[in-house]
Amino acid sequence: MAGREDKYAKRRLKTSYLSTIVGVTLVLYMLGLLGLIVLHAKKLSDYVKENIGFTVFLNDDVKDVDVIQLQKSLDARQYVKSTEYITKEKAAATYIKESGEDFVTFLGYNPLPSSLEVRFGADFANSDSLKILETELLKNKSVKEVSYQKSLVSAVNENLRKISLIILGFSCLLLIIAIALINNTIRLSVYSKRFLIRTMQLIGATENFIRRPFILKGFVQGIIGAMVAIILLVFTLYFAQKEVPELRELQDAALFIKLFVFVTLMGVIISWASTYLAVRKYLRIKTDYLYYH
Amino acid sequence: MEERKEVISLTEIVKNYKIGAEVIVKALRSVSLTIYKNEYVALMGPSGSGKSTLMNILGCLDTPTSGEYILNGQIVSKMSDDNLAQVRNKEIGFVFQTFNLLPRSTALDNVALPLVYAGFSKSKRIQRATEVLKSVNLEDRIMHKPNELSGGQRQRVALARALVNNPSIILADEPTGNLDSKISIEIMGLFEEIHKAGNTIIIVTHEENIAKYAHRIIRLMDGEIASDEVNPDITKYEKNIAEVVNEQ
Repeated sequence: MAGREDKYAKRRLKTSYLSTIVGVTLVLYMLGLLGLIVLHAKKLSDYVKENIGFTVFLNDDVKDVDVIQLQKSLDARQYVKSTEYITKEKAAATYIKESGEDFVTFLGYNPLPSSLEVRFGADFANSDSLKILETELLKNKSVKEVSYQKSLVSAVNENLRKISLIILGFSCLLLIIAIALINNTIRLSVYSKRFLIRTMQLIGATENFIRRPFILKGFVQGIIGAMVAIILLVFTLYFAQKEVPELRELQDAALFIKLFVFVTLMGVIISWASTYLAVRKYLRIKTDYLYYH
Repeated sequence: MEERKEVISLTEIVKNYKIGAEVIVKALRSVSLTIYKNEYVALMGPSGSGKSTLMNILGCLDTPTSGEYILNGQIVSKMSDDNLAQVRNKEIGFVFQTFNLLPRSTALDNVALPLVYAGFSKSKRIQRATEVLKSVNLEDRIMHKPNELSGGQRQRVALARALVNNPSIILADEPTGNLDSKISIEIMGLFEEIHKAGNTIIIVTHEENIAKYAHRIIRLMDGEIASDEVNPDITKYEKNIAEVVNEQ
């Protein structure tokens, strides 16, 4: 009978150990999933910002050498991602192709100006920065006009700001939930060993000696939980990219690795801190309270 | 006449507990007490008398708010937690109503555990733990786990564990609380033997018949010592067990 009880106790111990790891894994998975959403949202917003059109129309009498100089001076700027020189002929060809009307033959001349298409880095693509650049460019004799959709830039930035705030709010909430859930799971696991802690204390084990195996176990649970969560995240990413191939455009391996390191650190830190605090509670509590608290 | 050695000396021990922001519970109000080597003392008192608080202080599980506690020549009332753990390991052997054994360890491992913290080698631990288990008549249960032992046998293992470090005092909190009357008498008989072997024993109990085994009975009331008397009518194991056997 004792053997059966022993087996039952061992099984119960394994189940409790496993359920703690499952709890930690699920919470870290949710945290990592939100991290992935945040990373993709950031990439998407950068992509949108970097593709906001900014066209510098040039005077008709501008020489090629001036255009190339202007293009080079723009390319040299850190915040400029790319520039493209569109000659009058190329602009006309594009227009004819899009509209299907040969307006050059009809008019007898090409009214379209040559231009420079400029793309910016995501950090620069806001209406204030673009306004400053516009003023600066208009002082250049070769530049006739600068065109970009001011309202679109403002609207994109405003929407992205709102979305970022919402995601940040959710991230904070989920982080709090993660800490609370992992903390609770570990506290329950330590609670079930409160009498063991007291026994060790009674026979003269120092607090560090008692704490050590619990801390080690918490650390291992955190690592295992994080590893399983990362495996699940990789699978999720794989299936998401399979279903929506466009997601590959937003993929950034370095950021994913940082996210996985973050998930692992969160798992270890939360597990370690929760174990430390829970064990400390039962080291300080009076014997009578062990039965009722 | 041979001078008796002081093992425990409490001087004006006060223990206050703060409940909430303002309410202060005075659990012990100026308790002074001296216990000598090889004394057998029963600490009695109704619930709320300060019995458990005094036991926690005597067992170095808690420190007093004020006053001085000297255990075997060391001032323990102001010690750090780690030093108190060392004192508990070397000077005190605990026996509890709930046995407090490690459920997945054998009797031998349970008894040897205090020696792990004291830094003994494995062979010495096994040798010493086996000796003590034999002295409480458990030589045939050495490799059994607590769930394979009866209540009385578990308490014997707890007693062996309390004795294994040759402590200055054995502190027993309601040691027979979970046992039937016959087993209780057997356990008290074991305490009698341990006392005869030269150990100092303090038993905390609310049962008069258990306290009667002690040679000195200290009664607590409202956090103060209400009486401290020599027991004129000490119960002897031999006599008591004979009566129980006859009744059966």
